[in-house]
Amino acid sequence: MKQWFLTLFRVWRREFRLVFSDGGVMLFFFALPLMYPVVYTLIYNPEVVRNIEIAVVDHCRTAESRDLTRKFNATSAMQVYGYAPDLAAARRMMNQHDVYAILEIPRDYAQKLGQGEQARVQVYCDMSLLLRYRTILSALTNLQMALGEEIRMDKIDMAGMVGETAMGSSNGISSEAIMLGDPTQGFASFCMPGILVLILQQSLILGVTMLAAGASQRRRKNHGIDPLTIPAPPACSMLGKMLCYVVLYLPMCLYTLHIVPMMFSLPHVGNIWQELIFIQPMIIGSAFLGLCLSVFVTERESSFLIIVFTSVAFLFLSGLTWPRFAMNGFWTLIGDLIPGIWGIEGFIGMSSNGGSIWDVRHAYGMMWGLVGLYFLVGLGLTYYRELPGRRFAKEKARTNP
Amino acid sequence: MKLDLLLRSLARGCRTLVSRKLYIASMVVVPIGFTLFFINLMEIGLPIPVPVAVVDMDQTQLSRRVVRNLGSSELIDVSEKLTTYHQALQRVREGKIYGFFFIPENFQKDAINGKGTTLTLYSNLSYYVPGTLSFKGFKTIAVTTSGGVVVTTLSSAGVSDATAASLLQPVIITNHPTSNPWINYNYYLSPSFIPALLALMVMLVTSYSICDEIKHGTSVEWLENSGGSIGIALVGKLLPQTIVSVSVGLLMLAIMFGFNHFPLHNHVWHMIWAMVLLVVGCQSLAVIVVCAVPNLRLSLSVLALTGILSFSVAGFSFPVQSMYGAMGIFSYILPIRYFFLIYVDQALNGIPIYFSRWYYVALLVFPLLAIIGVRRLKKHCLNPVYVP
Repeated sequence: MKQWFLTLFRVWRREFRLVFSDGGVMLFFFALPLMYPVVYTLIYNPEVVRNIEIAVVDHCRTAESRDLTRKFNATSAMQVYGYAPDLAAARRMMNQHDVYAILEIPRDYAQKLGQGEQARVQVYCDMSLLLRYRTILSALTNLQMALGEEIRMDKIDMAGMVGETAMGSSNGISSEAIMLGDPTQGFASFCMPGILVLILQQSLILGVTMLAAGASQRRRKNHGIDPLTIPAPPACSMLGKMLCYVVLYLPMCLYTLHIVPMMFSLPHVGNIWQELIFIQPMIIGSAFLGLCLSVFVTERESSFLIIVFTSVAFLFLSGLTWPRFAMNGFWTLIGDLIPGIWGIEGFIGMSSNGGSIWDVRHAYGMMWGLVGLYFLVGLGLTYYRELPGRRFAKEKARTNP
Repeated sequence: MKLDLLLRSLARGCRTLVSRKLYIASMVVVPIGFTLFFINLMEIGLPIPVPVAVVDMDQTQLSRRVVRNLGSSELIDVSEKLTTYHQALQRVREGKIYGFFFIPENFQKDAINGKGTTLTLYSNLSYYVPGTLSFKGFKTIAVTTSGGVVVTTLSSAGVSDATAASLLQPVIITNHPTSNPWINYNYYLSPSFIPALLALMVMLVTSYSICDEIKHGTSVEWLENSGGSIGIALVGKLLPQTIVSVSVGLLMLAIMFGFNHFPLHNHVWHMIWAMVLLVVGCQSLAVIVVCAVPNLRLSLSVLALTGILSFSVAGFSFPVQSMYGAMGIFSYILPIRYFFLIYVDQALNGIPIYFSRWYYVALLVFPLLAIIGVRRLKKHCLNPVYVP
């Protein structure tokens, strides 16, 4: 038993030496989690879309229609680029990417308002980016309500009704919207917490597969035996390596999950110590998953071709963009098998929505389950991979005792 | 003589391409698998109904009517009826619901006696799309509820029904989402993300196949095989890859615009040419990077970084115009950015090709830039050094 722990310690120590003597792995383990979050956040850091250019086609040309145009211009979402004489001219502005929406005010706009009828105006919105559409849509909804309020008050005053009735009627039921998790409705605040967790997982898997592929290259050169690997039983070897990665990733987790959100004022209302405890099974699970995946990576550089693209797939499986409840059973199952996906769900629950580790216990438990699963799979694969080496050693022992 | 060399070089290129499973996997299996994954994932177009909760502190006739109205909304699915705010917040944290609708105490009383009351709509924007959809569903119900009470109050004050309706909403702003009136997420995301993945894989494979020769020291033989001309050597190596990747790209287009009827409002050839130029552009960008850093691991690192960041910096979801200038400028060195702009113009909006002419030209610039650097690559191929 003592021997076992001694071997574990030696595997752990050797893994450190292997990591720090390998520039490629250092790049994955340190440069990637240090740089990527900053670069990523800088891309999205403006958070919201403002002053989307619109063209105005005003068939009415009255004080009322000009007032409406001014109100559009006054929103933070939109900015009037210019007037167009007709819809065709406005379309041309849109085709030239000068404007992303068109406001068309009909000829009878002021007339209808005066007669006390409902007036309709049309907005045509470019749909290349849904963020632009969403920004315009919510500005229009607010504008329509504010405008309605203003006109209604005027009318009620003119009709000679008591102000109190008017106030009562408009203030009967009001509504207030509170955006949880991302109160500013910013884009970086929404997507970065998930991406941060994914960066931790992917950088770890990339590094682990590259290390394993290096060992595999050495084995190929050396009759199935890697001279730099400490001979150890599979379980001992896996645990030793994993402990090395966990130690290396502690400062990385602290940086990625705590310091980066602080630097960019991303949502971080959770307790960082609970978050650090929460993320450990994801790190361990990813380390084991990486050891399992190294079967497919036989050359150090192949890890790029095999692992990098999975980041995009994992990001979508995580439900950050496309929620998990709308996926079919198959993709839900695949997502369930990725430690990072539970990591993202739990981390958002804690860091953005202020939950405790108890609130995200389901994700936490699932990650420990995956740790067990990938440990067992990894054991089998390690045993299988070391077969030729053991056979060679036995042969050698038999021929020259 | 030249043709002989070219044929020999091409034959060698094809041989290396089929010699390893890695190439087939990353050029064919991964892009096509990803296409099917993506399109199948978002098959229903819009993720509705969104699971939400309602907290009814009032429990009166009016509040129950509001709850019933919530249930009739197509956007949301009131999966839970909870009794306290804290309970609802915990369900949000657990990720079970994406928002909740809060009806305060004395809701009916204060609404009718004119004192005024406030409905509170909580939406979890940590998940942008379902959060937004739940907000939209809540808002509609809140506004109609409030409207109903206003109409009642006005009627009791002696205003006719027709006038009351026009008082309620004097101006209606109708929003027309052109080209994608269904607001289908699949139509929105797939035509940019799927080719971006192809672009990533093409760049990685190009760099891998060239630098692998340097790694194994076979680059000398590779050059000899094409009579010492780096141009012929590169054509021989990359042309077979171009053909494979373009075929995969066209299959992607066929899956999206053909089988799944994504919006394609202009001629399909405009997209086919864009796809061909995208593949060649990505190969050229990879060659440029390889010329600058002729080391397998480093060039792959640079290209993986570029390829993964291109999903963000190319402005598929956050507009380049709103990014910081220093970040947004990087989108213009990415072939996928121009492909995306062509897609928006030609397929989604279907405007005349005249407006997209510069994007095609920009894609043509990449191969021209690549030609400048190849001399440097030749030097490295003659003295291959492998840095692990």
